[in-house]
Amino acid sequence: MAVGTLVARSTAAATGILSPRSRNLPGLLFSLPLLALFACFVVYPLFFVVTRIFDRYTYEVLFSDPVYVQTIVNTVVYVGVAVNVKLFLALLLSGVLDSEGKATRFLSAIFLLPWAIPVLPGILSVRWMMSSQWGILNLISEDLGLGTHHWLASRWTAIGAIILFHIWKYLPFWTVIFLSARRGIPRQLYEAASIDGAGPLQTFRYISLPMLGGIYLICTLLSMVFTIGDFTNVQLMTGGGPGDSTHVLATLAYRYTFRMGKIDWGMGVFATALPVTLLFIFVLIKKIR
Amino acid sequence: MGQTRRQFLKTTAVGAGAAASTISFPMVSRGQTKKLVVWWNRGYYKEEDESMLKIAEDFRKQKNVDLDISFTIQEDLRNKIISALTARRGPDVAFCFYNDWEIMPKYAWEGQLIETTDVINELKPRYIEKFLEVAYCYDNKAKKRAYYGVPIEAQTMHSHYWKDLVKEAGLPDDPAKIPMKWDEHWAFWKKAQDNLRKKDPTKYAKVYGIGMTESSSATDTIYNFEMTLLTFSGQIFSNEGKVVADEPKNREAIVKSLKFFGEIFTSGYVPPDTLSWSDGDNNANFHSKSIVMTPNPSVSIPAHHYFNAPDNYFNKSATIEWPDGPDGRKPTYMVAVKTVLFPKDSANKNPDLGKEFVKFVVDPKRFAEYIKGANGRWFPAFKDVAADPFFSRGQVGKGGEKDPHLPTVTKIYLERNTKVFEHWKNPANSQIYAENVWGKAMTRMDVDKWSAEKAADEAIGRVKAIVAQWR
Repeated sequence: MAVGTLVARSTAAATGILSPRSRNLPGLLFSLPLLALFACFVVYPLFFVVTRIFDRYTYEVLFSDPVYVQTIVNTVVYVGVAVNVKLFLALLLSGVLDSEGKATRFLSAIFLLPWAIPVLPGILSVRWMMSSQWGILNLISEDLGLGTHHWLASRWTAIGAIILFHIWKYLPFWTVIFLSARRGIPRQLYEAASIDGAGPLQTFRYISLPMLGGIYLICTLLSMVFTIGDFTNVQLMTGGGPGDSTHVLATLAYRYTFRMGKIDWGMGVFATALPVTLLFIFVLIKKIR
Repeated sequence: MGQTRRQFLKTTAVGAGAAASTISFPMVSRGQTKKLVVWWNRGYYKEEDESMLKIAEDFRKQKNVDLDISFTIQEDLRNKIISALTARRGPDVAFCFYNDWEIMPKYAWEGQLIETTDVINELKPRYIEKFLEVAYCYDNKAKKRAYYGVPIEAQTMHSHYWKDLVKEAGLPDDPAKIPMKWDEHWAFWKKAQDNLRKKDPTKYAKVYGIGMTESSSATDTIYNFEMTLLTFSGQIFSNEGKVVADEPKNREAIVKSLKFFGEIFTSGYVPPDTLSWSDGDNNANFHSKSIVMTPNPSVSIPAHHYFNAPDNYFNKSATIEWPDGPDGRKPTYMVAVKTVLFPKDSANKNPDLGKEFVKFVVDPKRFAEYIKGANGRWFPAFKDVAADPFFSRGQVGKGGEKDPHLPTVTKIYLERNTKVFEHWKNPANSQIYAENVWGKAMTRMDVDKWSAEKAADEAIGRVKAIVAQWR
């Protein structure tokens, strides 16, 4: 009886929505282009990914590939070190740039330059500086009697170069974000602390840090989500070399998909990172709310 | 006065219907001409592309075909073809320089390529037959081995050197006087470096004797390794396609090969950057004269000079063969043969027309014009085209200078032992090369300071693991 009523109600509701007299039909018709776009560019790609990631064999292959295991380590190091060092430095620098004075304004302008430089010339410059044969780093190293180093031909120095470039390039952006957040902290709090005799460290510990804590966490999560899928920096700096030892998830997925024609493996690489990314996004959304 | 909602909807529906019918009319008239979509690898020189465009135009007129030809650079085209085959919406004809290594073995295995045995049989009398097996792949769906592509042009290994640098080093610069026995050959280039640095330490401090690519991101590394392995009589696969790399004789050859690469690197006769070189970097280093010689699997270096610095081409550089083995045997040359494919799931499902087009392209006169546009970078897969005096004589300088490059290359193809890369035997080979397993082994020694034995065992293990995935 209850089921019958439910069916009758839903049929009536459906007929109501699609009835020519209903206001919903034109609404639905007008939404169709957007729904079609949504279906093409969101639903279909998601469906495509989902149909390809549930294959046990893909993961057997991935987990038995030493390059994949190495890539996970690289990604954790890259994201962990680059994001945290960058944001910590951004927090400190935003404090410096927040102070008054012409010199600070001049420094701020200079400081923003890396952000304005496109990635490609930036990376080419770094590669040139780190060239074992012609680079300025080795020139200095040789002059100091420290010999020649294969900066980009050795796993950890190459990863170090990627991390350094990431910090150099994106530090200004996050500094500006923290600077705006600092400017939002009421000045009276600092004045009151100053009257109470608080020094710069205490002011930072008891006013700036608690007031910036929320935005710091949000920025960290956002930056982690961006960096976990970073392709450009790594591909241009090392291409995953030497010996596939500096791949991160995105470059490895590219290698599987386009160098080997194994699109399932490429998808699988991202699928294994999905729980972490989703966790970050979940925490991020909770934090924003 | 405003429209009612119903009037608006009616007008919209009528308008949409009218638009749809207008758009569909030309489709009917277009449907009467046959359509062909061709994806072709962009050439290195504009003459190649112009020549192919002319061929396409002639085909279009002669066969009344709506031919859509597009040119894309090799890396992008590889990605485009893989994406298209994955989505099962490929072109009718696809020619990419990566087809033979990375695309054909895998997609033939998966049953996604059209069999071309009919075309091969028709063209067989014209073919340099040893090039043909590159397209003789296995279709794991149809459970048979057959031809799944049409080979058209090839490239192989040779070395280029700066005659003026060798002369400056006080050594004989005539190609005929370069020592060609294995140990003497490499010792010659080391001596060239030593002499140059002794002569002018400031000027030549960063000039290296041997421009050997040892990076895991360059395909040149694969040629270098395979050539060296053949020199030491080693094999990775048996003739039946089984892994035999771990057999003592072959393991020993692999270790010897890796030791050779490790020794020239660690002794400082190879630029340190070689570990991160891409395929173009030995060319760039050669052009900037920071290396005295470089082995290279195409004629791209002299071809660049021919167009940009003819004096370098005719007088200051020369091309020589790969050295003879330690046992005095002439080398066997690895050859990559570039191949045209026909995806089954193509835009127009018109395989016969696609094959017709390729037969039209490889017509002796037309193909000779096309391939000569690349200035000898590619060698034709057809005997009649290879017989063109251009390949045996090469270019002639303005002052009547003889070509010091192309005749050597032609001699290799026609007179030496050659062997095509073995991707056709097993698609696992594509993955082994894509992973650049041997380049990685070189990095293990050069950077991680592993012994050649340890690096060889890791690489052999990886080869076996990859092959196990393709059963």
